[in-house]
Amino acid sequence: RPRHEGARTMLPLLLLLLPAAHGTVRLEFMPTLTKVPPLEGMTTASTFVLNQPRCVFENYSNAVIWLVVALDKGRLSFNNSAGPGTPETAFQNFPHSRAYMTLNATPDSYPCPKPSGDIAVLRVGSETSCAQDETRPTCNGPLPGPGPYCVKFLALEGSVPVAETYWSAPIMLRTAKSQNSISTTGSGHSAGMIAITTILSILFAILLAALVAMLFLCGSDSCGGSSTFSKPESVTVRRYNTHHVYDQPAARL
Amino acid sequence: MAKSDDCVHILQGLLVFGNVVIGMCGIALTAECIYVVASSHGLYPLLKATENGDIYAAAWIGIFVGLALFALSILGIIGVIKASRTLLLVYIILMLITFAFEMASCITAATQQDSLTPEFFLKQMLDRYQKSDPANNSENEVTKTWDELMRQNHCCGVKGPSDWQDYTSAFRSTHSDADYPWPRTCCVLDAKGLPVNLDGCKLGVSGYYNSNGCYDAISGPVNAHAWGVAWFGFAILCWTFCVLLGTMFYWSGIEY
Repeated sequence: RPRHEGARTMLPLLLLLLPAAHGTVRLEFMPTLTKVPPLEGMTTASTFVLNQPRCVFENYSNAVIWLVVALDKGRLSFNNSAGPGTPETAFQNFPHSRAYMTLNATPDSYPCPKPSGDIAVLRVGSETSCAQDETRPTCNGPLPGPGPYCVKFLALEGSVPVAETYWSAPIMLRTAKSQNSISTTGSGHSAGMIAITTILSILFAILLAALVAMLFLCGSDSCGGSSTFSKPESVTVRRYNTHHVYDQPAARL
Repeated sequence: MAKSDDCVHILQGLLVFGNVVIGMCGIALTAECIYVVASSHGLYPLLKATENGDIYAAAWIGIFVGLALFALSILGIIGVIKASRTLLLVYIILMLITFAFEMASCITAATQQDSLTPEFFLKQMLDRYQKSDPANNSENEVTKTWDELMRQNHCCGVKGPSDWQDYTSAFRSTHSDADYPWPRTCCVLDAKGLPVNLDGCKLGVSGYYNSNGCYDAISGPVNAHAWGVAWFGFAILCWTFCVLLGTMFYWSGIEY
């Protein structure tokens, strides 16, 4: 396990004494996807977003910090001394070459401490213009598949690796389902629609039956009778004064 | 006789009252359906594009049914007061025809409400948005409608911008994922129509892109309209049913 202060003061001495030694310091930092603040595009189908390595490479102000992106399976075989921009580490040969190096920056780009309001992220896969350009082997091109990918930061002084971080946890990108898999056959019919249809059908059927009954049973005037409703101008019983009622008293006189 | 006269008068009064209510409801139905037809023009291309414009057919039928109900209610009032068998028979038969049409309109509107699910709009959007097909004009209509919808309501996709990530689409086949995780219209745009912060939009930083889906903005008005046409029509039909039964009973009792 790496030691902290002891290793860092010993390292320049070691480098002097053992010029050919691969004494790359392993720093206590693991690259992570940016979860704060929550980003909708944290992972897409061909990009992902990492937190910048702030306050990690403070002691390596002369180094250039590279991001190494590898397939999960390929990280064990990655050699720190493979230089950037070589065919083994060119983006255009990935994933055939199992890893590539990109997003080089000096430690000034990652000032420490990080101001709290800033969003300090690295978007891996954002450069589409150089993805096919063989003259740009360190292109930050879109990733060719869903992964899983592992990344780490590597500090190089000249062409000598001096420090590295841990490999990140495997990062899976999003895969798109086919749009034909969306089923629009409907969730069935809601209760309201079934209620409307049933009730209206019943009502209509009753009305038709009543109409048929009305026409066949009462088509002729077998329904209208003196005991049922009569028209307003219908004959009302008028009192008849027959002549003989009045004549009788006159006859007596 | 007096009792029979009272019964007659009560029945006549009830039928006249029933017809007055039908007349007023007919006017209200016409007004409501005119409102539905007039106010939904913005979303009509989305529904028309997949032959799902039935809600508008239902509304158009509703307009004419409402006017017919109003006219027939006047005929009914005259027929009841005059106790004329012919008038009332004409009234009953025409009312049954109107009943059938309004029934069709209600059922269509109610069925429509069920079929406008998020999946329906999602599939249509993924299939047609920005589908570059110069021969087919309806695709451009769908793209324009969606762009207008996303700009006005500050929304993106149907359930959210992740619709463009979770599914393949016509848009995805012409626009690379790294440059366009979602369409530019999903970004917060300035007065000129350009994204305020393109990188922020591509990353999905809140404040620079529209994070909620447009389904509520679409389904809200359409469902409200469908609900109005379907259930108000249903209420009118129930009332009409009672009035018609009463009229048939009255008719059968009129002296020839």
